Amino acid sequence: MGLDPIGYRPWNGKRTQHERRLFIISERIVREKFKSTPLLALFVMGMLLVHFFPLVMYAMWPHAQLTAENMSSYMQGGIFFIFNVLLVSIVCSDLISEDMRSSSIVLYLSRALRPEHYLLGKWLGAMVVICLFTLVPPVAVGLAITATQSGPDYLASLGVVGQTAISGLWTALFLVPVGMLMSALTSKRTYAGVGTFMFFFIMTVISSILQPFSPDWGLLSPQIVLNDTYAVIFGMHLPANTNFALLALMVLVLTVPPMWYVYDRIMRKGVGK
Amino acid sequence: MGGSSSDKVGEGMMISSADIEVRFGNIVALDQFSVQVPSGIVGLLGPNGAGKSTFIKTVLGLVLPASGTINIAGLDPRKDVLAIRDMVGYMPEHDCLVESMTGLEMVAYFGRLSGMSLEDSIPRSHEVLDFVGLGEERYRLTGTYSTGMKQRVKLAQAIVHDPAILFLDEPTNGMDPVGREEMLELIGRIGASNKSILVSSHILQDMEKVCRHVIIINNGRAVTQGPLQALLDQGEGRIRLKVRGAPSALTSFVAKLRQRFQVTSVSEEFGQMTILLLNREGSGVVMEMAINEGVQVRSYTPDKITLEDVFIRSVKEVV
Ligand SMILES: Nc1ncnc2c1ncn2[C@@H]1O[C@H](COP(=O)(O)OP(=O)(O)OP(=O)(O)O)[C@@H](O)[C@H]1O
Ligand SMILES: [Mg+2]
Repeated sequence: MGLDPIGYRPWNGKRTQHERRLFIISERIVREKFKSTPLLALFVMGMLLVHFFPLVMYAMWPHAQLTAENMSSYMQGGIFFIFNVLLVSIVCSDLISEDMRSSSIVLYLSRALRPEHYLLGKWLGAMVVICLFTLVPPVAVGLAITATQSGPDYLASLGVVGQTAISGLWTALFLVPVGMLMSALTSKRTYAGVGTFMFFFIMTVISSILQPFSPDWGLLSPQIVLNDTYAVIFGMHLPANTNFALLALMVLVLTVPPMWYVYDRIMRKGVGK
Repeated sequence: MGGSSSDKVGEGMMISSADIEVRFGNIVALDQFSVQVPSGIVGLLGPNGAGKSTFIKTVLGLVLPASGTINIAGLDPRKDVLAIRDMVGYMPEHDCLVESMTGLEMVAYFGRLSGMSLEDSIPRSHEVLDFVGLGEERYRLTGTYSTGMKQRVKLAQAIVHDPAILFLDEPTNGMDPVGREEMLELIGRIGASNKSILVSSHILQDMEKVCRHVIIINNGRAVTQGPLQALLDQGEGRIRLKVRGAPSALTSFVAKLRQRFQVTSVSEEFGQMTILLLNREGSGVVMEMAINEGVQVRSYTPDKITLEDVFIRSVKEVV
């Protein structure tokens, strides 16, 4: 290797604001993810299987306008859920685990970057990638259906597009915390990815076993919880026997404690032991 | 930011701590730790587990002390953590590279996280990678680097944003002799441009080459600190004397010496006696005594104290 006989040169540029630095982390996650072949393959497959059919089904068929029923049944489809879970498992798997394994987290946390901002940057990066699947395509499909409608009420259709956007965002908000939790629990990305997938899978299996005893057990399934919340967002009627308190509790349980754990873990790394 | 903060650090102490205590469960990593770290290149020496890394982490605000006060460039790590972090660079002792990035990408990325714009970060990263001597390897993933290359990239990410204060935790770890020399050369060059550098190490020869000031720590306490030269000067006047002669003559010679000088050690091997004594009066007196007692002086040499002697003495005193 050898050294060149050059002296150390100072740098006198202007620094960016502290608050803006978290976006650099998010930006890198998005870039990195779209360089990964497995993820791209999943994306393409998901686009065809999940989003392309509704587009053909609803947009090509004669229709007066976009209805909440159309969009909610599209988003409540089992295949949409499966792809979302796969996506979250892959996208979140190395989010934190890899930094812990390689100890590069020390390089982040010893910089002028708050641990909260580190976490927010990671979270935002994952959210953007996942929304590119859960939010953007459904909205595009909704817009295509609206554009090809025969009826005059575009406003109502656009209202449904808005509900679709909220549902897409909510899907990512709901699923990412468990993915991040798994990524912070282990320093092996494979464990984190498989862990996330198995968590959703096992919860769904348990719920389907217990559901015959009481419909309340159905709410153990993240898919049923998510579908119920879609119904709420689209202003549809939930089945009469839905236990709203339990629904709200499950939403909280699957989002708040996981994020709290991740936050606590990073804060401990960042300041103290 | 860079210029003004380095001016501030230039005056007085870079870091001062008083009675710091850091615990990890039952382990007391730093115990009533008080040091004054001046600006310039300062060596933090101590055996494994002494608390060197812990002290650096405490100054960085990565570890919270249970008690005591600490101050870096006039700021408190517990309150002004971001302001401190903006003017420091940190090279951790262990591997910490992002393996899925190339050396260049990584240095630029962390430069940006330290507040550089995208446009500034790329040329600056090339500049510091040239400086640390990483060639074409910069376009390879860091996961494929040798230990020496990793150390260079670790240094590069610590200096990319041109910090006024640099913390280097065992920078020569795992490097071959040539690499070590180069790393020390780099530290010297950075220090020459008005930066303050705190280097931890247990390789004393390395520290002797680059540091102006040393702090020796052991068992979580600062046992010796001061300008390197002053520590070495403590040994001024130490003489290593080799004499031969009849056993009775030697015995009475040593007895005479003891009356006049401080004799620190006497050893005999194959009829030759080696005496260590403290003499600030010149050799004449000793020579005269030798003639009077009938012993033959084989050599009379000043016994240079090394950092190693200072180190071993400091560490032993505490035990
Ligand atoms: N995270 C931690 N948890 C528990 N104990 C710790 C932790 N970090 C350091 N210690 C303990 O604190 C003491 C000081 O450790 P430190 O790493 O500061 O030593 P060091 O001087 O850097 O040693 P080395 O030369 O081996 O790097 C040791 O007894 C160590 O076991
Ligand atoms: Mg150490």
